[in-house]
Amino acid sequence: MAKEKEDLLQGTLDLLILRTLAIEPQHGWGIAQRIEQISRDVLSVTQGSLYPALYRLEEQGSIAAEWGLSENNRRAKFYRLTRAGKRQLERETESWERFAAAVARVLRTA
Amino acid sequence: MSTIRRSIAAVRGLFQRRRLEADLDEELRFHLAMEAEAQVSRGASREEAERRAKLKLGGLEPTKEAARSARGYRRLESLGQDVRFAFRLLRRNPGYAGAVVAALALGIGANTAIFSVVRGVLLRELPYQQPGRLVVLHQHKPLAPEEDQGFSVPDLEDLRRRNHSFSGFAEYHSMWFNLLGHAEPERVQTGVVSANFFSVLGTRAILGRTFSPDDDKPGAQPVLVFSYAYWQRSWGGDPAVLGKTLQMNDHPHRVIGVLPPVPQYPNDNDLWMPTSACPFRSTPQTIAARQGRGYNVFGRLRPGATLPQARQDLDTINHALLAEYPGDYPTGGYRIDAIPLLTELTARARPTLLLLLATVLLVLFIVCANVANLQLARLSSRGDELGLRTALGAGRGRLLRQLLTESVILALLGAALGVGVAAALLEGLVAFAARFTARTGDIALDGWVLAFTIAVAIGAGLLSGTLPALTASRAISDAMAAGGRGGTGGPGQAGSSRLRAILAGVQVAVSFLLLVSAGLTLRSIWKLQAVDAGFNAENVLALQIDLDWAHYKTKPQRRAFHHALLEKAHALPGVAAAAYSSNYPLDGLGRGTVGLHVEGRDVAGANLPQAGFRIASADVFKTLGIRIERGRGFADTDRDGAPPVAVLGHALASRLFGSEDPLGRRLRLSWDEKTDWRTVIGVIADVRDLALDQDPGGAIWVALDQYPALAGSLLLRSQRDPQDLTAVARTLVRDIDPRQPVGKVETLETARSAALAAPRLTTLLLSAFAALALAVTVIGLGGVVAFGVVRRTREIGIRMALGADRGAILAAVLREGLAAVGAGVVVGAVAALLLARVVARLLFGVPPTDPITYLVVALLLVAVAACACLVPARRATTVQPSLALRAL
Repeated sequence: MAKEKEDLLQGTLDLLILRTLAIEPQHGWGIAQRIEQISRDVLSVTQGSLYPALYRLEEQGSIAAEWGLSENNRRAKFYRLTRAGKRQLERETESWERFAAAVARVLRTA
Repeated sequence: MSTIRRSIAAVRGLFQRRRLEADLDEELRFHLAMEAEAQVSRGASREEAERRAKLKLGGLEPTKEAARSARGYRRLESLGQDVRFAFRLLRRNPGYAGAVVAALALGIGANTAIFSVVRGVLLRELPYQQPGRLVVLHQHKPLAPEEDQGFSVPDLEDLRRRNHSFSGFAEYHSMWFNLLGHAEPERVQTGVVSANFFSVLGTRAILGRTFSPDDDKPGAQPVLVFSYAYWQRSWGGDPAVLGKTLQMNDHPHRVIGVLPPVPQYPNDNDLWMPTSACPFRSTPQTIAARQGRGYNVFGRLRPGATLPQARQDLDTINHALLAEYPGDYPTGGYRIDAIPLLTELTARARPTLLLLLATVLLVLFIVCANVANLQLARLSSRGDELGLRTALGAGRGRLLRQLLTESVILALLGAALGVGVAAALLEGLVAFAARFTARTGDIALDGWVLAFTIAVAIGAGLLSGTLPALTASRAISDAMAAGGRGGTGGPGQAGSSRLRAILAGVQVAVSFLLLVSAGLTLRSIWKLQAVDAGFNAENVLALQIDLDWAHYKTKPQRRAFHHALLEKAHALPGVAAAAYSSNYPLDGLGRGTVGLHVEGRDVAGANLPQAGFRIASADVFKTLGIRIERGRGFADTDRDGAPPVAVLGHALASRLFGSEDPLGRRLRLSWDEKTDWRTVIGVIADVRDLALDQDPGGAIWVALDQYPALAGSLLLRSQRDPQDLTAVARTLVRDIDPRQPVGKVETLETARSAALAAPRLTTLLLSAFAALALAVTVIGLGGVVAFGVVRRTREIGIRMALGADRGAILAAVLREGLAAVGAGVVVGAVAALLLARVVARLLFGVPPTDPITYLVVALLLVAVAACACLVPARRATTVQPSLALRAL
C-alpha cells in the first residue's frame, strides 16, 4: 500500500519555501498550506521542521521577515524573498531539475 | 554563511534575546490558531482542533528549541545558561563542590608551583642579549674526562685569533680577596674577567659602566664593578658608591659600576675586576704560560654560525694546537667542547625539575580520575533531573555540554585556589631550586604560568568530565529509547560502576608509580645519611681564614701566623682539639688534584697517578675525627726543616702500592723540586669530603709547616656546642692581625646537612606528592566500594535473607574493591620498572628496581586500600534484610 503523503527529502523544504515565497510574501502557516495545496496534498510539511527552516533561511539572508496583518486581521510574521533568495531559488531549481531529469532517465532506461 | 556574520548574529541574538523569544512565541501561537481554525472548519470540535494543531506542529517547546537552534545565538546563549545552571547546582551541593574544588586546587596548585620553577629555570631565556648564542667552553684531558681543565692565556689568544665562528671570547676566573676601606675588612669573591666579558654576555651596568678595553691594559688604574646582590647587601644600594676608592691587594681600586641582578655563574661573585687588576693573572709568567690552564672561557656565536659549526671550528683549532705545542699537553688527547650557556646553568636542576613536573602532572591525573568518579556517583543520583531535561527536549550534545561546563567550572575554581597554593609554596621552592642552579631570579607566577594554569585547569575539567558525561548521556538516551526508567534510579548503573572500578584501578597504578619513586629516593637518602663519610661532624666549628697574600707573601710570615693561631686556639676554654687545614669535609670548595711520582718508578708525566691534595697541621685527624689506619698522623715535629712527610687516604694507598706496605715509601708532588721526596708516615680511612654520594678518590695530605698554605680554615673540636666558640675565635684572629678578615663560619654538622639538603628536599617533595596521590586514591577507592554496596543493597538483603553469612558478604564486597587494587598494582609495577631509568640518576646506593621498595609499596597500597574498602564493606554486612527488601 502506498503512503498517502510523501515525506520531504532533506533540503527540498528550503527549495519549496523559496518557490512559495517567489509568488508573494507569506506567513509560516500560509507557506505550509500553500505547499500542501499546490502539491495536491502529496507533500506534507512537518510543521515542526518548517520554522527552523524559516529561521535558517532568514539568517542566511535568503528571506526577510516583517510583522504585518493576516487575511483575518491578526498580527502575523510575513516572510518575503530577498534578491539573494531569488538567485538561490534559480540556482536550486536548475540543479533540482537536472537531478530529477537524471533520476527519470535512469528509471526509464534501467 | 561567513563565520563573521554568524558571530554577529549570535552576539546580537544574545542582546535581543527577550524580543526574539517573544517573536517566536507569537509566531507559533498565530500558527496554532490558524491551524485550529482550519481544523474547526473541517468539522472538529474546538478542543479537538487545538489538540490536533499542536500535534501537527510537533509540540510547542521542541519546535521552539529547534528554531532557536537554527539561530546562531543559541550556542552562546546556552553557554551562559550552562554556567548559571552549574553554579546553581554547585551552590546546592556545597559539600561535593568543596571536596572537588579542594582536590583540584591541590592538584593544580602543585602544577602551577612546579611549572613556575620549570619556566623560570629551564624555559625562560637568560637575561642577556640573544642568550641563545652564548656558550661555555670546556677543555678536557683524557685522564680526567669529567674535569674541566680550563684554558691558559696563550690558549685563549690562539682561540681568539684562529676561530671563524665566534664574535667574541671572554675570559673568567674567580678569586677571594680582602677588601679594606669599608666598615670592616671584608672577604670578597671577585670575578676576574677580560674587558669584553660584559659586552660578550650583553649585560649593561644599571649604574655607572662596565669595563672598557683601556681598563684591562697592563698598568691601568685598577677598577671594580659591583654585583647587584653585594651592592644591596654590603652597601645598602647606595649610588654614592660610584667613584669611591677601596683598598685591595695593597692597591687603590676605583668603583666604576653596578651590575643588574643577573644569574651569578659559575661563582656567586661580589665584585668584578679586569684581568690587569688581578695580582696573579697579570704577571708576565702567567700570561706566557701555555700550561697555566684554569681560566673559564665564554663565547658568543657569530651571527649565522651554528653550534655544530662552532664545535667543528674548535676541533680544528684544537688539533692544530696539539700538533704545534705537544710539550704543553703533557697527557696529549685534549678536547675542547662548547656547551650552550642555558644548558650549562641548568644541567643539575633539569632531571630533578622534570621528575617533579611529571610527578605533579600524575598527581593531577589521579585527582581528575577521582573527580570523574565522584561525578559518576553523583550523576546516578541526578538521573531524574537529566531524564527530565531530555524529555523536555534537551539534545544529547546539549546535556554533554552542560555536564562538561560543570566540571570545567569546578576545575577553574580549583585553579583560582591553586594559584594561592602555588604562591604559598613559591618561596620554599625558590630556596629549593637555588641548591641546583644559579638561575632562580626569574622564578615568578607570571602570565605564562597563569596561562599554563588555566590550560591545565581546562584540561583537567575536560578530562574529569568527559567520561562521566558520555556515560550519563548515553545511558539516558538508552533509557529513554527503552521507554522508561529501569532499576532504582541512576542512568547506566552497571556500565558506570565498571567504569568507576577501572578508574580506581588506574589511580592505584599511578599511585604505585609515584610511591615507588618516592620510596626509592627515601631509601636513597637514608643510605646517604647513614653512609660512613670517614669523619665525625659532631662539635666541630670551621672558620675560613684565607690569608691576605699582600701581607703574607713569604713562607715565614705564613708560618708565624699559623703558629700564633694554633697556639691561641689550643688555649681556648672548651677546645678539645684544633687544626688548620686547606680544606674541611663538604666545604663546597672545589679541589685541586696533583700528579704523584713514586720513588723507584719511572712514569712519564702523562701517566702520573692523580690524587686529591690537602694541606693540614698536626692534630687535623683528631679534630676531624678521621681514623688513622696505619702509622701516625702529623705531629708538631713535622716542621719546616724536618724530613718532609705525607699521609695517604686508604684508597690512594692501595691504588699506589696494592698489598705492599706504604709506610716509609717516598712520593714527590708533580710540581715539587726533583729532590723533595715526602715519606709516607700514615694511612687514614677514606673520607667522602667532596660529596657524600661520591666515592672518595683518595687524597694525599702534606704537613702545613712544610707547605705553608695561604688559604684554609681553622678547625675547632669543642666539648660543647661549637657555635659558642665563634665570637672568641673571631677575636683571636683579630688579635693576631686586625686586617685579616674571617670568611665563612659554619659547623661541620651544618656543612653535612647542607650537603644533604638538596636530595632531602627532593625526597620530601616527592613523598608529599605521593602521599597526596595515595590519599586521593584511597578516598576514590572507598567511594567505589561504597557505591557498589548501595547499588547492591537489595541483592545483599536477599542473600542475607536466604542465609548467607556475613563473612561471605564481606568477602564479596571486598573482592570488588581489591580486584581494582590488584590490577592497579600489577600495572603500576610494570610501568615503574619501565620508567626506572628516569629516577636512576637521582639515587644513591639503591638500584631503581630495588625489590624491597616495590614490595613495601605494594604491601602499603594493598593494606591502605583494604582499610578503605573495609569501612563500606562492613556497612554491607549490617544491611537489614527486611528493610532492604521493603525498599523494592
